[in-house]
Amino acid sequence: MILPVNNLNNKVNFSANSAGEDNKKALDYDHDTLLNNNLATRTRIGLDKFTNAFTLYPAKGLKGSKNANFYEFLTMGTVPYITGSLSLMAVFNAANKYYKPFAQTKAGPALGNKLALGVLFYGIAKNISKSFVSVPINLFTGIDIERPYAKVIYELPDDVNDTDITSIEYHKVFESVEFPRWDLLYGDEAKGQKRNFRYDRIARKLGMGRNLNDSDQEVKDRIKEIIVKSNLAKNISSYLWAAVGVAFAFQQPWEKYFKAMTFKFWKTEEFSKSMRILKESFEDSAKIFFKGEGHGVSKQAGKILLGTALLSSIVGTAFSLKSSKKPSKVDSADVIAKNDRYVVN
Amino acid sequence: MNTNLIQNFIINRQNAGGTVNSNNNRKEPHKKPMPHFDIHHVLKNKDLIKPQDGQGHLVNYNLFNIPLYAVKDTIYDAKALKHVLKGEANDHELGKLNNLGLTVGGLAIASYLFTRKQTPMTKVMEFVGLGSFLASMAIWPKIAIQLPAYLVHGFNVQKEYIDSAGRKKPFAQDPQFLPWDLCSEQKIQKIGDYMGIDKNIPNRRTVIQDEMKKKFIQNNTLWMLTAGFATPVMSGLICNQLEPHISKFLNDMKNKKADKILNNIDQYAEKYQDNKIQTRVEKILNLYSDKPFNKEFEKLILESFSQTLEPAVSKRLIKDLKAFIDLEASSYYNIDEKAAKTIYANLIQKFEEGGVQKEFISSMLPNAEVIINNLKSNSFMNKNITASDFRNVTKSIELMLEDMVEEYNKSAMPDKKEDFAYINSLLNNNKNGEHPVKKIKPVVQTNKITPKVVEKVRLIAEFMDDFRAKMYALDEAAVLKIGSAPETVIANYWNNTSKDILKLFGITPKQFEKVRFNKSLFADLLRDRIEKIASDDKLYNKVMKGLIEKVAVINKEIKPDIMSEKLFQKEFPDKRGPKPLLKPLYDKKVDIVFEDTAALLHVNGLTRTANLLSGKGSGDDISVRNLQKAFVSDRLLGVKSSFYRLINTLDFYRRIADTPASIDSIDVRGSLSKEIKEELVELCKIITLEGHSSDHATKFYMQRNQHPAADNSSIEVKNGKVINKYLGATEDVADIGGDKYFYQNAMRAMFESPMHHDTQKLAEASPIYKELVNYRDMSMEILGSDKYFAKLRHLVRDPREFGSNLKFLITGISTDEFFYKGFQQVYNTHKWKNMFGKFALGLLGVTVLAQFVFRKMTNPQIKGNKNDKSN
Repeated sequence: MILPVNNLNNKVNFSANSAGEDNKKALDYDHDTLLNNNLATRTRIGLDKFTNAFTLYPAKGLKGSKNANFYEFLTMGTVPYITGSLSLMAVFNAANKYYKPFAQTKAGPALGNKLALGVLFYGIAKNISKSFVSVPINLFTGIDIERPYAKVIYELPDDVNDTDITSIEYHKVFESVEFPRWDLLYGDEAKGQKRNFRYDRIARKLGMGRNLNDSDQEVKDRIKEIIVKSNLAKNISSYLWAAVGVAFAFQQPWEKYFKAMTFKFWKTEEFSKSMRILKESFEDSAKIFFKGEGHGVSKQAGKILLGTALLSSIVGTAFSLKSSKKPSKVDSADVIAKNDRYVVN
Repeated sequence: MNTNLIQNFIINRQNAGGTVNSNNNRKEPHKKPMPHFDIHHVLKNKDLIKPQDGQGHLVNYNLFNIPLYAVKDTIYDAKALKHVLKGEANDHELGKLNNLGLTVGGLAIASYLFTRKQTPMTKVMEFVGLGSFLASMAIWPKIAIQLPAYLVHGFNVQKEYIDSAGRKKPFAQDPQFLPWDLCSEQKIQKIGDYMGIDKNIPNRRTVIQDEMKKKFIQNNTLWMLTAGFATPVMSGLICNQLEPHISKFLNDMKNKKADKILNNIDQYAEKYQDNKIQTRVEKILNLYSDKPFNKEFEKLILESFSQTLEPAVSKRLIKDLKAFIDLEASSYYNIDEKAAKTIYANLIQKFEEGGVQKEFISSMLPNAEVIINNLKSNSFMNKNITASDFRNVTKSIELMLEDMVEEYNKSAMPDKKEDFAYINSLLNNNKNGEHPVKKIKPVVQTNKITPKVVEKVRLIAEFMDDFRAKMYALDEAAVLKIGSAPETVIANYWNNTSKDILKLFGITPKQFEKVRFNKSLFADLLRDRIEKIASDDKLYNKVMKGLIEKVAVINKEIKPDIMSEKLFQKEFPDKRGPKPLLKPLYDKKVDIVFEDTAALLHVNGLTRTANLLSGKGSGDDISVRNLQKAFVSDRLLGVKSSFYRLINTLDFYRRIADTPASIDSIDVRGSLSKEIKEELVELCKIITLEGHSSDHATKFYMQRNQHPAADNSSIEVKNGKVINKYLGATEDVADIGGDKYFYQNAMRAMFESPMHHDTQKLAEASPIYKELVNYRDMSMEILGSDKYFAKLRHLVRDPREFGSNLKFLITGISTDEFFYKGFQQVYNTHKWKNMFGKFALGLLGVTVLAQFVFRKMTNPQIKGNKNDKSN
């Protein structure tokens, strides 16, 4: 860590042991902290990243801040996703009001609305479907590939008065397969946890035995393999599920909902009617998507797409769980031919 | 044993009195630095163990190495996938998967939507959409960020490098880790010069690098902020630009395919030859063959034809087939013991009633056994016999009786003797009921589905399968070219030609915007425009020339020798008299298919079906063959009439604008009142522009002055508009139902008066001249011969009934509707393009301008003095 050399006021809050100081910044974390993978945490992280992606990071980026980093660049990836989705809807919807005869047929808005719905379902399906892989893997191996942690970053001060030089980034323990944060997974002995308790659990679930001396060292290779493979499974399957989402949104019964659609929840009667129709449209669309229309491939297209997505999750998970490291057929005792002579320097 | 060279080096240097710079002894005072210590010299020492030289390098793309890099990248991606599958990949390789997933997902979406779309164009556009989206994602940062940034700052902000491990990465991906060591000193200094950084500043390279880093970060951010807006819009615009080209390509493909089908109809028919009727019929025949004929069988057989053939054909075929089956299935008889006993009973009854000697009966015909034995001995018992065989049964019974009479008479008393001649006449006399043997005929009819029925049904099924396959091939060729569906050759022609014609007439989307919700306002706008064109010599010639050229394209797209409407193909008679009509290829093929099938059916006794197909006997007009041809010719007629009407309309306006006096001689009775001429021209202008077939059917309705002024001078015209002196001056107006001349004059003015000499000259030079002349002629013929009950004498040709369909087709779409509908589409596309084109340009402008803002944000302290020319 490089300290600011010209820190005149000495107000900088650098580390964990500065707790209790008056000028302590209300930081959530003072060191890299493993977080629980639950809905509350995920929502909080999501909101934090979302807000930063649209406010802080672009501001830093446009100024060309020396502290801008790869994490911020990646987090800003949300921006084109959101703006792109909105633009895509606009491309189909924005000009509609000028086309009276076209708009009257409802073809224009219906297509635009379906597209909007498609974008929404794309996002939902893509995100939810990742858990179709990660949850079974966690269940079978004890490896939570989505486990988040908060990383505390010390930045360079912008000027001599800049005392706010820490920032929090939210990463995942296994986001790098080359450098997973193994250290965060060790138990805190001060809290009475066994140092290797997490690794013990994984080893047990992976069938590598109980009470291993160095369970952490034993399981690391397997964890890496599982991370790599599950990444592939998650990636491909999530895009296929996203495609299912889009296809589902393009069903005809949604048009019924678009006609009754209202977000004015204070007009209770209209709103409840719109919700009821939403439910009906959802059910009808699901039925039509699955059963299909027309004949031949067209009729089966929904089933094929859904089947492919489902299969990609199942096969992907199974593939991730399967170890490609075959146990050696040669007993270690037989590796050295006992009758031969060896010279050791 | 290897010598540890580093160790030796350190020891030697320490011994030599030098110090090794380490953290531990940092604070120790330097004793005596080694003179002339040059690290590079030391590192060049071959004995020293040192790291290998880095293999990393910047990627410099050019036209020649891009394909090479593309191949290398693909190989890398494939290897990455292999490593991932083995579970051995690194982070960089894992990152590559995202693109794979995005493409797989995109293809899945496009494929699904592909199956949901009906036409080839919309199907193709799904993939074009995906492709353009991915392309936009890649192109936008290059044109909107990389290029302007390069021009403004002097370096590529999206530079890539390959590290020592062969991993290609963006140089500026992580601002906290920029591989500066890959950039040469010279290059960095040059960039610094471009950025205007002071040449005398200490640590200039670091200062330049810091500034470059700043630009990297700013441009990465700019990319993220703009890509979301740019990609979908760019993708939409790309699709919009590509669509006409793809459409043209698909159109040509379709057109060629249709020609190919017509030239190889038998080969294409095989594609449709699924033997559906034969398969169904065979199943039924297997089930029912040699079994009693019943209604169920009849229903199933007839259904297998009716479900696959056209209703008119199948109905007739069913009638023919039913008659045959009825006749054939009931022509066999089977006499069993019960039937024989019935014959015996009938015989006895007849004899008793006829007064035959009881002795004869009791001695010769004591019981039914006699009959049974006779039938058995003649092999008539329990066997299918034909109607002619049945006659032999009667004969054999009669012969038996004759023998019996002879036998009986030998021993009978003379007064008890029997006369066979009497008995024979008794048997054949229908007074006391039918012949005892013949009487059982209906009872012993077998009603079996005989091999002959089976054979016939099989044969007809084969014919009809063959016929159906050929019909489908004909239909496919016809639909591809002239089908009333999106993306057929004629639909594409209509759409493209309308767009071009709209442009030709010069009404702008801006003018259209104001009147786009009101058709009558639009009609006024259009009329003004046409009058303007008609009054300007140069403009008229330009527009009419363009119009004729555009319309003539139809005969290139759908050549009259392949498919045509008969009506406009009439050749001008020459000295030798009228020329015969050329039969288009489609009609020839239809004739062959229909006549061949009809001949086969005829030979097999299905005459009524044969006649329906070929038109023989039942009148050609209602034959299925003719319907098949009319499907094509009607559609062509409607489209061509609409375009020829447009030419005719413009020509009429031109005649009024340029030669108003031409109207003076329109009436056969002599000169007309100026007021009537004003009324006439106004009517004709309205009818040519807005008239429908109903206007022609009701012989035009116009409120006119019943007492026109006695002024026979010519009408006055200025700028294409008639300066009306009388029209509209009086309110005492009504439609004059009895004035047939007014109607006749109007028809002649519109369709019979010679075309304007400009039009004539332009049309004569065009391949559609003949069709245009025929159009005008046929309009007079068809519309002018139509009788209207309220205005019985309003005719310009002898009364004739052409059918409302033909009258509708020859009227075509009204000119104002043609423009109005066309403009809706053009306007919508224009509006969309305008909206998003402007947006895209605006976004591009802002993104490019941002570079200048970034340049301004360069630290002023490090900027060089422009006047400083010391370096």
